[in-house]
Amino acid sequence: MNFKHKYVFLLPGLIVLIGILIFPIIFTVRLSLSGWNSFNPGLDFIGLKNYIRLFTDDPRFWQSFFRLSFLAITTVFLQYIIGFALAHMVWKDIKFKRFFRVLFLIPMMTTPVIMTVIWRTFFHESLGPLNDFLSIFGVQPPWLSSPGLAKVSIIVVEVWQWTSFMFLLMLAGLLSLPKEPFLAAAVDGASPFKKFIYVTFPLMAPISIGAIIIRLIEASKIMDTVFVLTSGGPGTSTETSSFFIFIKGLREFQMGYAATASFTYLIIMIISLTIIVKVLTKVLMRE
Amino acid sequence: MSLMLNHISFKPTEEYHLNDISLRFDSGKMYTILGRTLSGKTTLLKTIAGLQTPDSGSINFEDTDFLSIPVWKRNVAMVYQQFINYPHLNVRDNVAFPLKQRKMDANLIEKEVQEAMEKVGLIGFESRKIQELSGGQQQRVALARSLAKKAKILLLDEPLVNLDYKLREGLREEFKKLFNVSDESNSILIYASTDPLEAMQLNGDIIVIDEGKILQTGTAKDVFENPATAKVAEITNDPAMNINKCFIQDNSLIMNDSVQIQIPDELKSIPNGKYLVGIRATDIYLDDQGFAFDVEISEISGSETFLHLRNNNLKCVATIEEVKTYNTNEVVKINFDKSKIYLFEESGDLRHSPYQQ
Repeated sequence: MNFKHKYVFLLPGLIVLIGILIFPIIFTVRLSLSGWNSFNPGLDFIGLKNYIRLFTDDPRFWQSFFRLSFLAITTVFLQYIIGFALAHMVWKDIKFKRFFRVLFLIPMMTTPVIMTVIWRTFFHESLGPLNDFLSIFGVQPPWLSSPGLAKVSIIVVEVWQWTSFMFLLMLAGLLSLPKEPFLAAAVDGASPFKKFIYVTFPLMAPISIGAIIIRLIEASKIMDTVFVLTSGGPGTSTETSSFFIFIKGLREFQMGYAATASFTYLIIMIISLTIIVKVLTKVLMRE
Repeated sequence: MSLMLNHISFKPTEEYHLNDISLRFDSGKMYTILGRTLSGKTTLLKTIAGLQTPDSGSINFEDTDFLSIPVWKRNVAMVYQQFINYPHLNVRDNVAFPLKQRKMDANLIEKEVQEAMEKVGLIGFESRKIQELSGGQQQRVALARSLAKKAKILLLDEPLVNLDYKLREGLREEFKKLFNVSDESNSILIYASTDPLEAMQLNGDIIVIDEGKILQTGTAKDVFENPATAKVAEITNDPAMNINKCFIQDNSLIMNDSVQIQIPDELKSIPNGKYLVGIRATDIYLDDQGFAFDVEISEISGSETFLHLRNNNLKCVATIEEVKTYNTNEVVKINFDKSKIYLFEESGDLRHSPYQQ
């Protein structure tokens, strides 16, 4: 195989790759160096001005980033705990095992935006069923209009929606575990609790890391829930990075600046996820 | 101190896995459960360990009701036929696992682990991963773990069966030593095996089990010389003892039209009638004046040759003390060592053994 045009056959794949991945990234970088906005639509060159503005003069971006970190870590942590617990529950031989397995998967099969609309109705301050119920006890918390509770609401919806996914991965992991170590552990005097700590959990470490990383990446893109539930409010108290970029780019049409924020966000995510994988591997797999 | 099994039965499906088993195990002694595959050996061991709950019956150990104690609180160690270890731990942590469950002092654990690993010859492998070990070494790890626990009851479920021949021989020798050591700790040792030779070598009390029922218990010598039934005789010999229908008439033992032998003096008191005759494969020898048999299969095993023979409807297996290839359907002439003939009633019960006084 040594003929001249063999690389031609790579073209279809290469064109798709360039079209949907490489070009947008390069274009974003170029865009971030321009002052493209609604008054001045065009790829002019303004150097690092946007970056200087982002790093020195925009606390809102950094606030939204730390808020995102908080939301992502909290929701994924809760999803992991609850998902693992549910998976562990239906892993054993219990009654109606199949029924529960399907039941726990239902949230994942629903459309996120529609479910969030339903949750918004559910959380509605004066008309929602939740506050209608809580009024029995004489409280009517402002679920979506207080900065603290709005974050809680978002966490609840995210956990509800995506625990299923964690459950699915953890159940698959549990079902693929070898049975023998559990036989040995029982005879070796491990109580059910210790069996979990010393056998189940370490054996599940690799799949746990995988599941947590997948969910962290997904959770970092959180946008639809925030958009529908609170629109970033009250004020900017539930605004996340992607929502901030969306506002800057598609509401205020500061395309150049939004590109700067996107690219910075991408770099930070790559670095922090790499660190997280390293740390998780060290902690969970004791390596 | 003894472990008592009273009328244990376990019947998960139509068939009994354990059928009314009553046994007594004394501490400081070693027992071998001998039975074919699916005879209920593993089920019996799992029941003692607590991994399986019997349908009926009771187990008592040191005057406590064993069945009411969950498996992880029973002081039992078990080595399985498969090499079962913890894949996420290294060798040292594997051996230390049962000790760590007891919240023992770290120095003491280290000492016990070292001792156990020395016994099974694993020194130098402490920080290896389980997957990096060979099958024999993996089984040694499992063995070290069960020894380190110093359990009152040590259960070994065919621990050598999945190892290759040479390792098996080597480990079996070591087993004998190990068991002598653990004798001092006054534990009960129960070893399940399908191999009669292994059972005889280990030289403990033998419990013969088949289809979930106990057929005979006794010393190795006892079971070998005086098998209680024809079934026991088959299970406790490898190749299985040849059991064939026969009848005795006028001092001759008739197996079929052409194979008839004059019975020895000690059998002359036995009345005429139908019986089962049992002859060990090793008690059949080549003899030019003997009976003609066709060779069905011949297999060479070590320095011996097993001949599967047939004369009309009469089948038997003979062990020939030499390595020789026989062709299928070749005719060989054989004879039976008359002084080694067993007779069983038609029901299977032993009627006469050459070792009876």
